[in-house]
Amino acid sequence: MRTLLFTVCALLFFNTVWAQDKFTLNGYVRDAKSGEELIGVTILIEESGGGVNTNPYGFYSLTLPEGEYNIQFRYVGFKTKVEKVVLNKDLSLNINLEEETVELSEVVVTAERQDANVTSIQMSKNELDIQQIKKLPALFGEPDIIKTIQMLPGVVSAGEGTSSFFVRGGSADQNLILIDEAPVYDPSHLFGLFSVFNADVIKDSELYKGGIPSRFGGRLSSILEVRTKDGNNKELRGEAGIGLLASSVMLEGPIKKDESSFIISARRSYVDLFLRLANQKNLVYFYDINAKVNWRANNKNRFFLALYTGRDDFNFDGNFGFDWGNRTATFRWNHLFNDKLFSNTSLIASSFDYGLGSQEQSDGFQWDSNLEEYSFKQDLNYFFNPRLTMDFGYHLTYRKFAPGKIVPSEESIFKTVELQNEYALDHALYLSLQHQVSDKLTFEYGARLSVFQNIGENTVYTYLDKLDNTNPIRTDSTHYGSFENIKTYVNFEPRFSARYILNNESSLKASYNRMVQNTHLISSGTVPLPFNTWAPSSTYLKPQIADQFALGYFRNFNDNRFEFSMEAFYKDISNVTDFADNARIFFNQDLSTEFRQGKSEAYGLELMLQKKKGALTGFIAYTLSRVNRTVPGVNQGRSFLANYDRRHNLNVVGTYDYNDKWTFGGSFTYGTGRPTTLPSGSYEFGDGQIADIITERNGFKLPDFHRVDLSATLVPRKNKDKKYETSWVFSLYNVYSRKNPFSIYTRVKVDEDDNIIGDGTEKEARLIYLFPILPSVTFNINF
Amino acid sequence: MINLKKNINLILTASLLMILMACEETVTIDTNELDERVVIEGLITNQQNHYVKLTRTRSFYATGPADAIENALVSVSDNNGNTFQFVHNPTDDPTQNGFYYPMNSFQGQIGSVYSLDVQVDGQQYNAQEELLPVTAIDSLTIIVNEEEFEDPEEEGRFYEVLFYASEPQDRKDQYLFKFYRNGEIVKDSHTDIYFSDDILLGEKIDDLEIAGYYAEGEEVMVEMYSLTQEAFIFYSDLFNLLNNDGGMFSPPPANPRTNLSNGALGYFQVSALDSESITIVPPGS
Repeated sequence: MRTLLFTVCALLFFNTVWAQDKFTLNGYVRDAKSGEELIGVTILIEESGGGVNTNPYGFYSLTLPEGEYNIQFRYVGFKTKVEKVVLNKDLSLNINLEEETVELSEVVVTAERQDANVTSIQMSKNELDIQQIKKLPALFGEPDIIKTIQMLPGVVSAGEGTSSFFVRGGSADQNLILIDEAPVYDPSHLFGLFSVFNADVIKDSELYKGGIPSRFGGRLSSILEVRTKDGNNKELRGEAGIGLLASSVMLEGPIKKDESSFIISARRSYVDLFLRLANQKNLVYFYDINAKVNWRANNKNRFFLALYTGRDDFNFDGNFGFDWGNRTATFRWNHLFNDKLFSNTSLIASSFDYGLGSQEQSDGFQWDSNLEEYSFKQDLNYFFNPRLTMDFGYHLTYRKFAPGKIVPSEESIFKTVELQNEYALDHALYLSLQHQVSDKLTFEYGARLSVFQNIGENTVYTYLDKLDNTNPIRTDSTHYGSFENIKTYVNFEPRFSARYILNNESSLKASYNRMVQNTHLISSGTVPLPFNTWAPSSTYLKPQIADQFALGYFRNFNDNRFEFSMEAFYKDISNVTDFADNARIFFNQDLSTEFRQGKSEAYGLELMLQKKKGALTGFIAYTLSRVNRTVPGVNQGRSFLANYDRRHNLNVVGTYDYNDKWTFGGSFTYGTGRPTTLPSGSYEFGDGQIADIITERNGFKLPDFHRVDLSATLVPRKNKDKKYETSWVFSLYNVYSRKNPFSIYTRVKVDEDDNIIGDGTEKEARLIYLFPILPSVTFNINF
Repeated sequence: MINLKKNINLILTASLLMILMACEETVTIDTNELDERVVIEGLITNQQNHYVKLTRTRSFYATGPADAIENALVSVSDNNGNTFQFVHNPTDDPTQNGFYYPMNSFQGQIGSVYSLDVQVDGQQYNAQEELLPVTAIDSLTIIVNEEEFEDPEEEGRFYEVLFYASEPQDRKDQYLFKFYRNGEIVKDSHTDIYFSDDILLGEKIDDLEIAGYYAEGEEVMVEMYSLTQEAFIFYSDLFNLLNNDGGMFSPPPANPRTNLSNGALGYFQVSALDSESITIVPPGS
């Protein structure tokens, strides 16, 4: 740390010494049509060859000696613009880029410069092109970024119909999922059939799997950053989609032209309409609402307010019901302190809650649980010169965990019981320098200091044996008042990335990052449920710490038409949170006795070939990986393969623009069967029950998973008189109707009505699979 | 008799099947070769229905009655210095193979600690368990279930039995329930076990529906057993094992925790028992 500080001071010093006859050029780069800021635009100085990229808010800053320059603004899908600049004073220059093909109706927002695969210092990162995702085959015709994420190299899924993803040997709760910087604690609708991300409002999204910049923290394995559109500030427009299971509508436009804009979007499923036909008493639906307003007060100040709310609601027979949902709010202020110092101040709130209830007379109850989070973030970018930029900032987060409260209905046999709330304060200071040492070599180095406090009000119990989860005996208790410190964990997280350019078309990259996770998901299955709760690091739960090393070779072919990458990674996690065999994680007042923490080790190799230009675009991704865990108190202390370990993964995704009417899409996915626990025998107990004997966790493998999906998008010729444009998306899911394994369970042999066959001693194994071949159609309208 | 835990399981299973439209098929699995292990099912109560049942484990695909152990030495002793010898199948009834009964009758005493001692093939298996009190069943009543009345699953079976008791709030209790129709055990689903602790229970347990629907003239019996915390955990684990989904949403299946030593499977249960019977007659008649 001392060395790092020294470097920073030295750099600051040099900057002041050398900056005397230099001037700064800065501004925003925007899409000429919609006014949306463009992220990652390459700004190239023709005279020197050096350059910078626009930051996540579309801002750039260049500091150069006095002189005349030709500055190129280059961005995929847009016409390159060259500006002649006479730099004899500090200048502000906002650039509007025109789309490359005028006929293309949609705005192609890909946050990448053309040769970023090779030249960018960032490795282990994937960008998701939402316009391409909309043309890909989708389950029930609902385009879903998480389903595409599950096909990226280094990412595996537990099976279809889930919104969980597992990055480089990390579990599902080790992904930080952000929508406009606000964390989303459960990204699932309908138990994972769809994700909470409505494709209509997504501007861009990125997945960081390694070399994670120091501005991110809090989760071990990945950051999924989803940004929503700011709203068109030139003209009012809208989109509506009618799908098989859900419909959506989106409206965006200027509040004051070129200065402020809004976007609002809503999506609702109507699964229940189908179900109602079958059974009048069932109610099942979800909805999402995204809204954002955005105001450019002047060139130095911009304000955003983004809101999201989404909910799932289920009710059976008017008796049982449950619901869950996320709500987020982000207020952001971008401020330019001076030509070189860009600031982003955010106030963020996020909450997740679920409820379960029964209206039965004698055992009616309502069970509610929620989690609230409030953050203040101050992020700063300092642009020293084209070769050196610095990111630094401070994040403060307050979290309240209310794991559960049960309130009985009148006449109920139950009584009111509430689990203890938990509270936490999380401080993080970070600093990161991106330093172009030479034309070939660039470093990004920095660190994050995480100070985590588990605070009151709470009562902490001492146990006779803190691991006795059968009959926990409390021997003592300590009460802590509101905001009183209970336990503090300080962790230093170094981050380092390097890129070395071999030639115009290829580079080598390496990275190391340490990540710390202080919020733990209390889930003992493979796929989290919306009914799982979260808990902070505490007296009985240590922070989880991951160290990841990655090494990669990157190469572009044919004028950047093809991008190839090969990455190897090794990830070691200490204190990985797991649970004792037979852990009772629901409404357990002594939950801490179920915690078991141990080690996780993952390594793998990822290959990816991607084509982003031309009529045919798509990628082929292959991952070879292995992840195992060794946790004292689980599987008798022996190491076992993680639930989501899949040895081989191959995914092929492509779209083909046949002509301006038809686009075809297709995908193929293959994955080695994931591990599962099967019995090695059985025994009789009690009233004729036949129980399994388990000798080893995850000792068996499910059958392999593979599937082909196809889609066709039709955009009928635009009628010049009409103000709107329509499109149809036809999807075919699981073309050859493969019975892909979801899980295998065992039972005593029964018939379709659950009546025992024979004498009730015969057992059988049952494979659960989800979707046979499923056709779907979605109708979209743009106006 | 539904406890909260079971509600959650019901909901999860229902939602899984309904929402995900899951399909199923029977598959054959390769299972590991397993060394045979001893299975012990013991019950001592404050009445006289004690037994110890000894069987062996078997391979997953084996069928027919479990392999009974007939040559074991079984005894139970209490902490007052009494030892009760058990003998194998004293009536020589072939359906009672593997069952051991006390040589001399005795009644379990509330507050006493009972120790089981089983010797099989030179191996010794032990367990210890305290006999905890059980609250008394106040009464049972009969109502007509409207839905079953309109569309009964089984002809004539549209009566429900409601259960009443007072839950002592000043001590920690765990319960196991069993329901009988004309002496035959009744469950809503064959993997059901009806158990509860009292963490969520208020003092008044009123109008609680028991499992099953009944027809006029049927004899219904409810048994209520006290359980130690360890026995409650055993039944909870066993219930989760029998109702596991294969580890997708539920935790990976695991062997239930037991009070038995030396790797034996099963449980040695010691309980106070209260029971109540009622003959089904139309309500108000």
